[in-house]
Amino acid sequence: MKFLPYAAIGALALAGMGTAIAQDGSYTIGVSNTVQGNGWREEMVCAIKAQALASGKVESLNIAHRNTDAAGQLEDIRNLIQAGVDAIVVNPANPEGINPAIKEATDAGIVVVAVDQAVTEQSAFVLSNNQEEYAYLGAKWLFEQLGGDGTVVYMRGAAGASADDDRDAGFKRALAEFPGIKVAHEVFTGWQQDQGKQQILDYIATGIPFDGVWTSGIDNVIVDAFVESDVPLVPIVGADNAGFVGQLNSVEGLVGAAVTNPGSIGGAGVTLAVRILDGETPGSRTVLVDPELWENVTADGRAKLAAAADPSLDPEWPVSISVPEWTNYSKAQIIACAGPGE
Amino acid sequence: MTQTVRRHGWAIGLFALLVLLLIITKLIQPGYGASGIGSLARAALPFAFATAAQVIVVIAGGIDLSIASMMAVTSVTAAAMMDGASEEFAVVVVLFVLLLGIAMGMINGILVVLTRVPDIVVTLAMLFVWEGVALLILRAPGGAAAEWLKGIIVGTAGIPGLPAEITAWIPKALLVLVVCLGIVWLPLRRSRLGLSIYAVGSDALAAFRSGVAVNRTKVVAYAVAGLFAAMGGLVLTMSTGIGAPIPGPYLLASVAAVVLGGVALGGGRGGLLGPIIAVFILRLVRTDLTLLSVDPNITTVIEGTIMVVVVILGGLVALRGRSA
Repeated sequence: MKFLPYAAIGALALAGMGTAIAQDGSYTIGVSNTVQGNGWREEMVCAIKAQALASGKVESLNIAHRNTDAAGQLEDIRNLIQAGVDAIVVNPANPEGINPAIKEATDAGIVVVAVDQAVTEQSAFVLSNNQEEYAYLGAKWLFEQLGGDGTVVYMRGAAGASADDDRDAGFKRALAEFPGIKVAHEVFTGWQQDQGKQQILDYIATGIPFDGVWTSGIDNVIVDAFVESDVPLVPIVGADNAGFVGQLNSVEGLVGAAVTNPGSIGGAGVTLAVRILDGETPGSRTVLVDPELWENVTADGRAKLAAAADPSLDPEWPVSISVPEWTNYSKAQIIACAGPGE
Repeated sequence: MTQTVRRHGWAIGLFALLVLLLIITKLIQPGYGASGIGSLARAALPFAFATAAQVIVVIAGGIDLSIASMMAVTSVTAAAMMDGASEEFAVVVVLFVLLLGIAMGMINGILVVLTRVPDIVVTLAMLFVWEGVALLILRAPGGAAAEWLKGIIVGTAGIPGLPAEITAWIPKALLVLVVCLGIVWLPLRRSRLGLSIYAVGSDALAAFRSGVAVNRTKVVAYAVAGLFAAMGGLVLTMSTGIGAPIPGPYLLASVAAVVLGGVALGGGRGGLLGPIIAVFILRLVRTDLTLLSVDPNITTVIEGTIMVVVVILGGLVALRGRSA
């Protein structure tokens, strides 16, 4: 138990730093995120760090970032309340499941901003990507490409996740508009690259023909699977991940579209939290960021894809590394992934 | 007295560690107080029930990998049944879900006994089965919980005969935990059945030759584990107000608490008190790491390291005690 005295000394030193909050407009911001090791979420956390640094108004970040469920997020938020943060930026595990802790936070005078997905607790602010629209936009484009007739492989996210459920609603809405389109195969990738690739390889191996693939953001490995299996490419819809955007620009014969889903929304959440702490409360409790679709069929779409491509990014990172009017960090800052004091 | 100390030596050591951690927490965050203890108790609840479930199976010489999945099944069942139902109906739901937990546990146990396939294999398979069942009941997180149920674990309770200054430090969540575990564990521990569970875990053949119904005892141990898992599922629904079909991180956490709590993974030895204190220690370590704003990618490394160090130190102390 030798480590304990050292821990206590370290604790005392840090306690001195932790108590000096909210002086000269410098805030402490807590972060709660429940998916670790996923490119999108890592970009979100880096955007939070970069924006906190770029704003010049955040003294320190307190990040609770691990793989857990709604009950674990309740614990993390309560720990952040105990840490005495001024604001909490949270990517909710569930729209309702973390409401009790959010209420406790706002009752304690802490500003809570939910990013990426919404929460139903009225005292929190929401800055979210429109997931239902995300799926609808891509699916509709895909079905139009197929001329409203054919079969598609439907590669979903994580079973039971609320973002997956919202996307499913959007996908089904598009499906209802195209009676000639059938789902040949439906799988959950769990938003894991390796799992998604294995699933499409297995399906290609069955030899059952299909006309298109819709993926919930596990995209570049799907293209890889086609190329490696040496089978003809079919139209593929994915997200704006750097690897997939690069493939849409370069892979011979690939027809596809990327739908934007900025992970940098986390940075926007920091901006909103700081604005509220500075006294600028927004008119509406909810701000929705609508997705865009970039396809490589028209000249206009190809121009957008070419402009968006960024080979310097990790292939699993979305290329939309900033949100206009909401973030002001540089590309170098988000890639450095360093927050205040790091 | 000395016998009590010897029997509960490990738990007493863990309790001292918990008190030390609480003092450190107070040093890190001078404002840490009754509300912090309340948060800790609520965070510990699902982990504590998962751990209790694992403890009884491990003592009986098995291991149950399906605990987190059973918690998911019971949680979504409760949330789905309470959705749109009256407050009174929730009483029926609670009873039904507890019975459901017992039934699932019995199925696990019967499969282990009948097939003679190792526990770890059967319960691994059941992990997937129960996970699928949970998804069949609720495709996505949803449902609802009765207000009175949610209220059970919020705030503090007045205990007759105790002044308010003391009860302010006793969260309702802790009372719920103590009562629910005590009601099942204490009578069981003192009964012939409880003794049989220890005997089967210690040496199944010796137990059989002594006239213990080994198979029946194993099934009962799994059924009680199912009951504790159902309680864990219920507190998940109570704390979040919904049911989530994807199992949370309770399986590995329960094994960790069992090991840290001094229960022999080979079976037949250990109690419930140590592992429950271990749950609180592991939650408090998480709180401290958040308060210190340690890099989140390092926190799990630290958590694992603390576990290993404590278990090694405990083993050394036990060795020295035996040779002295």
